[in-house]
Amino acid sequence: MNRMSRRAWFGSIVLAVLAGLVSTPAAWAQETPRMGGVLKVASIGEPPTLDIPMSTATLVYEIMWHVNESLFTYDKSFTPVPLLADSWTLTDKGLKYTITLRKSVKFHNGKEMTSADVVPSLRRWGRVASVGRVLWKYVESVDAKDPYTVVISMKQASSSLIYGLSEAHAAIYPKESIEAAGEGQLKEFIGTGPFRFVEHRPDRHIKLARFKDYSARTEPPNGFGGRRTAYFDEILFLTVPETAVRLAGVETGEYHHAMFIKQDSYERVKNIPTLESRIVKPRGWAVAVMNHKSPLMSQTKLRQAFQAALDMEPILVAGFGSRDFYRLDPGVFFPEQPWHSTTSAKLYNQHDKDKARRLLKEAGYAGQPLRWVTTREYEFMYKNALVAKQQLEEVGMTVDMQVVDWATLNNRTEKADLWEVFSTGFVFSADPASHVALRCTFNGWWCNAEKERLLGELQGESDLKKRKAIIDRIQTVFYEDVGSVKLGDYFTLDVARRDLRGDFRTAPRLYFWNSWLAK
Amino acid sequence: MRTYLLRRVLAVIPVMLVVATVTFVLVHLAPGDPASIIAGPDATPENIARLRHHLGLDEPLPSQLVHWYGRLLRGDLGDSIFLRRPVTEAIVERLEPTLLLTSWATLIAVLIGVPAGIVSARYHNTAVDQSFMGLALVGLSIPNFLLGLLMILVFGVWLRWLPVAGYVPLDVGLWPNARSLLMPSVSLGLVQSALIARITRSSMLDVLREQYILASRAKGLAERAVVYKHALKNAIIPTLTVIGITFAILVGGAVVIETVFNIPGLGRLIISAVLRRDYPVIQGVVLVIAVTYTLINLAVDLVYLTLDPRIRYQ
Repeated sequence: MNRMSRRAWFGSIVLAVLAGLVSTPAAWAQETPRMGGVLKVASIGEPPTLDIPMSTATLVYEIMWHVNESLFTYDKSFTPVPLLADSWTLTDKGLKYTITLRKSVKFHNGKEMTSADVVPSLRRWGRVASVGRVLWKYVESVDAKDPYTVVISMKQASSSLIYGLSEAHAAIYPKESIEAAGEGQLKEFIGTGPFRFVEHRPDRHIKLARFKDYSARTEPPNGFGGRRTAYFDEILFLTVPETAVRLAGVETGEYHHAMFIKQDSYERVKNIPTLESRIVKPRGWAVAVMNHKSPLMSQTKLRQAFQAALDMEPILVAGFGSRDFYRLDPGVFFPEQPWHSTTSAKLYNQHDKDKARRLLKEAGYAGQPLRWVTTREYEFMYKNALVAKQQLEEVGMTVDMQVVDWATLNNRTEKADLWEVFSTGFVFSADPASHVALRCTFNGWWCNAEKERLLGELQGESDLKKRKAIIDRIQTVFYEDVGSVKLGDYFTLDVARRDLRGDFRTAPRLYFWNSWLAK
Repeated sequence: MRTYLLRRVLAVIPVMLVVATVTFVLVHLAPGDPASIIAGPDATPENIARLRHHLGLDEPLPSQLVHWYGRLLRGDLGDSIFLRRPVTEAIVERLEPTLLLTSWATLIAVLIGVPAGIVSARYHNTAVDQSFMGLALVGLSIPNFLLGLLMILVFGVWLRWLPVAGYVPLDVGLWPNARSLLMPSVSLGLVQSALIARITRSSMLDVLREQYILASRAKGLAERAVVYKHALKNAIIPTLTVIGITFAILVGGAVVIETVFNIPGLGRLIISAVLRRDYPVIQGVVLVIAVTYTLINLAVDLVYLTLDPRIRYQ
């Protein structure tokens, strides 16, 4: 694909600007940003690691992508745009990516970033990052052509690769940091980002400070792309596990921003003049994952009965309270994304008890208990499951709800013989081909042959219309075969003080470059 | 006496051994492991398996146990999986906030609980007694986290007198440190003071019915002297036991208050370790708490000696 058509392709992807990104023009829009100050962010807990590629946990990159940058990132329509890369071309029928790096980009240790750092960083990403490993199947080799050029040769064309490289997980580290880490986690956190890592005091804070020699892009800010400016002298991510305390602290001004405030505080927050809400929309969709390896749930009719029985509105009301925080929608992808589809919408939210009973009978179901593993660590999962259990029992299913902590849930659901259903949330994924709901290796093991074939087709297809048509077909398979049962979209609530300025409030991922404190 | 002391100190060893083994087995039998927590919610199984291997978690349990004993004998509690530093260091760092919080809370509990108990006993069955004991009942019934959250609302959010949460280390200054610990210590201490008040009262009542008290009153001693000089010394022994136990419980058990007030103490350390299955930290902290318990009990037993000369240890 030549440069022009690639641009045209990306341009055409921009179908919808994420709804959340369309914000009302703020009063401060004309204000001159102010340098200085210490930003205090109350976060929900300790990140499991600071090594971005190692973990899929959102908190890890929402802190560390201020420090470590990737070759690409997303603009406001979630289209990949270069960040550390200067430009790129795709040739040889989609089999050869040639990425030119920006010059004079310095790491926090003063060293210039070159292909000698990029190549080992990408190789490590392909080895340790979950998405990286999935995509690495298509990669033949990654080589440095010269200090500023990296060539990725593919075994097979993959439209997902550029999305993968745009995720924070494909962060670029100095070669020395990667060598020192060996097969384990990184021991030092050096990047090229607008902030440098200063210290991590567990259960207290993670401190970042402005990187004076940051080499910013020159384009105006657009989504996560474009110019990034560090206005704060320091950012402190404070660990504040208690949600009431996070809200109290942001109200008194001890913190400027508080993550994950309970949605039922929304009305109260609206009445406090010094505070402003940030509704993270979309955050993800709540789901009941089916275990396709269990003798019970491997029966399609039983899964279809499960899907037919549920009435989503009460399930979502129990989990998320007000309509500001949930949405009934059948899409595997969000309405804010170009991939959104309404095919098979009639199979979502059926609440057809007769159909469910009929399907159960056809499946020969005789009241065997379905073990549904859920957790109170994410309260909505428990509440969703509680209401769904009641609805399933009304049609004659027996649900054995097992409430465990999050670590246990993750561990238990890895073992196919221990469960039939489990609760989780699938978070926003920009790349359609690597969505967890469609991944055959994800716990639940939905490896439908037709779906796998379509995913393969999607990887090789770059035409937007054709991609969309493939996604429609994937969604049909998802509903007819009941890969898992989507309950509904959910949004979360963050709260920030009004004097904290910047566009971060309207982005579905949290960042604090280009934000400042007004005085 | 010396042999007694030696025996008591040596008795710590089998306790430690049992605690070490039981903790090890329990934490490893609990489902969930650090690898899947690090890898995150959407991680691929191969990725988790790779991480598990790297962390040495795929070794057979008995061989992991032997390694743990080996390190323990050398006084090494191992390295934390998440904090990427020795467990001993992590514990030492968390001791300051926990010990200060516990000491303040115990002090508040004693300063309120003991006088309230004495006054209640002295004015037994009067309005004073009933109102004190009523308050104590309320105190015992309120969960300390609720008291904590209410205090945050009143003193932090409405009145803005105190910071809502967070800990200021001692080296920043005595006053800022005390200020950051005021609400948590009061919410912990008030609840404990209720317990101490009730114990002190009932034990005082028992003693006040003794014949030697009658005798001292008969010989014309002032009531003050009877109560504070003669009765209190004997009555305080059960209270002292409770204070000792309270202190020990608080060292490892201020988990909820530390979480509510965001204090990076031992309680927070262990709770986050449990949630993340940071095995070495759980084992290390439980061991340290067990030793602390044993030693505090020993200390309490020794204080009995000074209070009651009739007590002799063989």
